[in-house]
Amino acid sequence: MNLTETLELAVLALYFLGAVLHILAVLIRGPLLRSGGQIATLLGFGLHTADIGLYMARYGGDALGHGPFYFSLMAWTLIIVSLVLNWRLRMHFLALTSLPLALIVYSFATTLPSMEVILPESFMGLWFGLHIGTLFLSICLLAMAASAGAVYLFLEKKIKGKTKITGLSKDLPSLSLFDQVNAWAVNLGFPLFTVGLLSGFLWAHFTWERFFSWDPKEVAAIIVWLLFAFLFHQRLVNGWRGRKPAKLAIWIFALSLVSMLGINFFLETHHSFQP
Amino acid sequence: MNQSICLLGLNHRTAPVEVRERYALPDVDPRDQGLIAAGSGVKEAMILSTCNRVELLTVGREDKDTAREILRFWADCCGGDVHELQDHTYTHRNLDAVTHLFSVASSLDSMVLGEPQILGQLKQAYRSSVKQGTSGVVLNRLLHKSFSVAKRVRTETKVASNAVSISFAAVELAKRIFGDLSNQTAMLVGAGEMAELAATHLLSAGVKRMLIANRTHARGCELASRIKGEAVLFAELFERMAEADIVISSTGATQTVIQRRDVQSIMKRRRNRPMFFIDIAVPRDIDPDVNNLDNIYLYDIDDLKEVVEENLSQRKTEAAKAMVIVQEETEKFACWLRSLDLKPTILDLLAGGERIARKELKKTLRRLGPKADDPEVSQALETLVLSLAHKLYHQPLDFLKRRAQEEDAGARYIDVTRRMFNLDNEPPSPDAHPDRRKPKSSEE
Repeated sequence: MNLTETLELAVLALYFLGAVLHILAVLIRGPLLRSGGQIATLLGFGLHTADIGLYMARYGGDALGHGPFYFSLMAWTLIIVSLVLNWRLRMHFLALTSLPLALIVYSFATTLPSMEVILPESFMGLWFGLHIGTLFLSICLLAMAASAGAVYLFLEKKIKGKTKITGLSKDLPSLSLFDQVNAWAVNLGFPLFTVGLLSGFLWAHFTWERFFSWDPKEVAAIIVWLLFAFLFHQRLVNGWRGRKPAKLAIWIFALSLVSMLGINFFLETHHSFQP
Repeated sequence: MNQSICLLGLNHRTAPVEVRERYALPDVDPRDQGLIAAGSGVKEAMILSTCNRVELLTVGREDKDTAREILRFWADCCGGDVHELQDHTYTHRNLDAVTHLFSVASSLDSMVLGEPQILGQLKQAYRSSVKQGTSGVVLNRLLHKSFSVAKRVRTETKVASNAVSISFAAVELAKRIFGDLSNQTAMLVGAGEMAELAATHLLSAGVKRMLIANRTHARGCELASRIKGEAVLFAELFERMAEADIVISSTGATQTVIQRRDVQSIMKRRRNRPMFFIDIAVPRDIDPDVNNLDNIYLYDIDDLKEVVEENLSQRKTEAAKAMVIVQEETEKFACWLRSLDLKPTILDLLAGGERIARKELKKTLRRLGPKADDPEVSQALETLVLSLAHKLYHQPLDFLKRRAQEEDAGARYIDVTRRMFNLDNEPPSPDAHPDRRKPKSSEE
């Protein structure tokens, strides 16, 4: 087993341990377990960063064209977004979504066959930074908003319906905190998504001399952007809060997942991850 | 044990309120009033007097009828009749008294199961007895133990969790919606007693601002000055309601005061910031349809009552778990009481010394290596360390035996010795000085 494989295994093990400890901490209400989960996550994140660094050192700019590297980077972004949100909003609860999701995405990265996407040399840095970086960040923020939205809907139903709040629900943060995650995700995520999309079109224009080519991925991205824009507008201009933005965030995230996994793997597209 | 613990008391179950009032004992010093005196069987005493219970806890000589002495003292203090008092009191002796005190401290014997107030009252009663100099070795230990039992019960069971009053239930729900209440504004619509109570709870939970709208403005102003709120004109009710995150309504109106359309227009002005309506009026002040609006949460008195009743039944289930803890702790206290006799303390002290000596011997033998294989060497060393340990304890034991013959000092010196050498293996209390929390073992 070489260094990369060892690192990958350690990252997977630590994220798994972090996820299990966080789940156990919620189930049996153990603050020590949660601290353990946080330590495991931070260690895993440290090793994951090292893994990404090593990959970049080995392949240089070419790494950006490797499919598995995308997924590794996506898992890494997911963890960093959840760590930042946890630090800003004290939402330990988000780890329950981000860690299992990061674990799945990272497992993808380690099991996918190495495949290459041919990228124009001159745009590598720009394309990577603007297109992938911003889209990753906004999708990870959406993931957090969707999970916070799901819990918001669950808790809100209980409060509105005057059902007794027992067990796990008792330990949940307040409704307003879950709504705040949504506000964060939308206020930060939408501008990032817009930059990601525009840079993609710009890149397409320089590569294929056309901004839009009716590629399924591009169509899906436009739909996601329109919904995201609607959510952004309603929150900002009409003061949407609570249930409606929670539901919409879940829909937008689900659509992003379909676009990322369904279209990239199963449809004819120039974003395909098929070797 | 040549001392006996006796607890005599009356409470909300055994005496009606007029009897409880007549036999209340606030600010009574048992020494000044002659309960603890030369020739009396009572050596230590503490009086707990609250609106729901009066209890006298004493430690005295086993051969005296302390219960009769206490009853007479109590009736004399209140100018009452011994027989009438006896009809309403209960008596617990020794370990039964200990169990009862632990239950009281843990609020398992309170009118509202699990309410935390009693522990503060018990602490106050103990402070008074310390000030009056009427608590001694046994009471000191017993009361400290009862505080830690109460803490254990609160930590390990849910007997004190969940609101069991309407206003506390409202505060808990508000926290569930808004989280921190320190940035929230609340509004009272109507200035009834219940609304005032809910307002007080919200203010103590940290609510930033309180608006009061009452049909009689003067009454609103009066309440506002009492709770440091702001009175608003009833005519401006809906205009000012937009500032409020929590609205408590308790007017005497016969028809609903707050309609769905009013709230809808308020929500537009608030840009959908959530609102929590608590309707404690009967008949209701707020149209129930308001609850169907987005970001609006409406609870009426029946909804809150339901929450409270469910919480109370959960507390009862938890009380059974709490009683197991109380029994366990009573057993531990019984062990300590038994150890106040001289013999167990001498045995524990010597056993502790021998344990340290053998541990050190083992280390030395390991360091000596092959030389230690000689049975003569190891035997000589063992004799040396054990006799050293016994000789080191000789003077303290001699001192202890002499003190134990003095009637009042014996138990105190035995208790000090046990604590000094940590013979009961007790961890330091969580509020102890940091240096004490990590004690250096004498064996290291």
